[in-house]
Amino acid sequence: MTANDWVGTVLTVVVFCLMVVVYVYALRPKNREHLESKKYMPLDDERTDNGDKNGG
Amino acid sequence: MDATAEQKYNLGVVRWFAVMAVVYLVVGASVGVYIASELAWPVLNFNIPEITFGRLRPLHTNAVIFAFGGCTLMATAFYSVQRTCGVRLWSDKLAWFTFWGWNLIIVSAVITLPLGLTQGKEYAELEWPIDIAIAVVWLSYTFNFIMTIFNRKSSHIYVSNWFFLSMMIMITYLHVVNSLAIPVGLFKSYSIFSGVQDAMIQWWWGHNAVGFYLTAGFLGIMYYFVPKQANRPVYSYRLSVIHFWALTFGYVWLGAHHLQYTALPDWTGSLGAAVSLAMIIPSWGGAINGMMTLSGAWDKLRTDYTLRFLIMSLAFYAMSTFEGPVMSIKTVNALSHYTDWTIGHVHSGALGWVAMVGAGALYHLITRCFHTEMYSTRLVNVHFWCFTIGTVVYIVAMWVSGIMQGLMWRAYDDYGTLVYTFAESVAAMHPYYAMRAVGGAIFLTGAAIMLYNVLMTVRKSTAEGRVSQAQTAVAGA
Repeated sequence: MTANDWVGTVLTVVVFCLMVVVYVYALRPKNREHLESKKYMPLDDERTDNGDKNGG
Repeated sequence: MDATAEQKYNLGVVRWFAVMAVVYLVVGASVGVYIASELAWPVLNFNIPEITFGRLRPLHTNAVIFAFGGCTLMATAFYSVQRTCGVRLWSDKLAWFTFWGWNLIIVSAVITLPLGLTQGKEYAELEWPIDIAIAVVWLSYTFNFIMTIFNRKSSHIYVSNWFFLSMMIMITYLHVVNSLAIPVGLFKSYSIFSGVQDAMIQWWWGHNAVGFYLTAGFLGIMYYFVPKQANRPVYSYRLSVIHFWALTFGYVWLGAHHLQYTALPDWTGSLGAAVSLAMIIPSWGGAINGMMTLSGAWDKLRTDYTLRFLIMSLAFYAMSTFEGPVMSIKTVNALSHYTDWTIGHVHSGALGWVAMVGAGALYHLITRCFHTEMYSTRLVNVHFWCFTIGTVVYIVAMWVSGIMQGLMWRAYDDYGTLVYTFAESVAAMHPYYAMRAVGGAIFLTGAAIMLYNVLMTVRKSTAEGRVSQAQTAVAGA
């Protein structure tokens, strides 16, 4: 295998492992409430009257 | 609230992108119907090189993907990132640079493609000076989006922004690598890749233009606009996180399935097909997540025509993300490749998913950005049915035509001789090509109705002074 092949293989395995970590994080019962609370963000965006950093 | 939003956010650039998206939808679909008609009735070529199928086909794809799709993505991303982050766009000037730059690129495509100035790479036809302009303008869009997120007030980045971000980052990477070329003149260049490597890079780009531009970007639209229009949170946020990472990890592997039975190593196509099949799971998870957002409130579909667009688009998304992997299996691919089945599959995604979800999102944000209701909700409903019926007629015609083509091409008799000549298969396609043109025309009618409705809404808003009232109300507050 060339160096290029090794870099590709290692990167693929690392990214795959990271994806598994994300799945475990997302599906862990302990994180359920925290993650599901974020789904209300688009519905809360009508509250626009509290200033912002970009001069609005 | 209208006044507060008008002052707080940059809705001006969103308004312009939204209106131009609808204009380009009509232009792109018109060219599509014309070239579909040319295939059914070749006399329409009129022996004028600039309007032949070979010249106008890339104009059609560029107009619908980059003009309509691009303006829709820019309007919706700039709108939703401001709303979900609670801040104005990082730079108004950069946003306007993106708007004018993107539209100039579209104008340059309209001029160069009919003249035959092309790199001959599918979905990447534009010559090298325009490719450089695309990279610069795309980066301005990406940088403004990222900086707006950086300045956000909320600690969490909402999932729609993740989808938009993945599109922006991956399209930058894909566009730059696939467009690497050696110029030999102002409008002529040659790819730095050759042979099967060139083909692999081309379809790595080609499939990811679908995967990230037309899927991840439009899923960003779905995850913001479906909950907003339904006024209900997305069914499962955890599922949306898994959907995002599975899609982002998986899509980059699929390009090789476009090159089954070619000089590409056999295992590469098999790997592409295997990952394609695995992608059904996250794709359907996302589609179900979007549809189930309406759980317990399905009655909204009776009266909310904008919501109909959004939900119907998810049905087409689910259908085409099942069909694509099936077509990538070598046994099926042996029948389907190079036939009209592929065209039918592409259009079930493009018309049924991309155009539908785009139209729904545009209707939603146009009423919010122009601070008035649509000129005619009845016309929105007529538009919906034109899109739905037109899409179904189109894809059914191509399914039948494509499978018939595949079967005719590989039919042989007891002596091993082909049963049909190629010309006979072309003649057999005529009724379906005519049917495809009719389906496209029905779809185009819907797009024209949308443009009329949007322009009348803008006119109504202007006559009532809605935007100026919203601007001055805040200024005086």
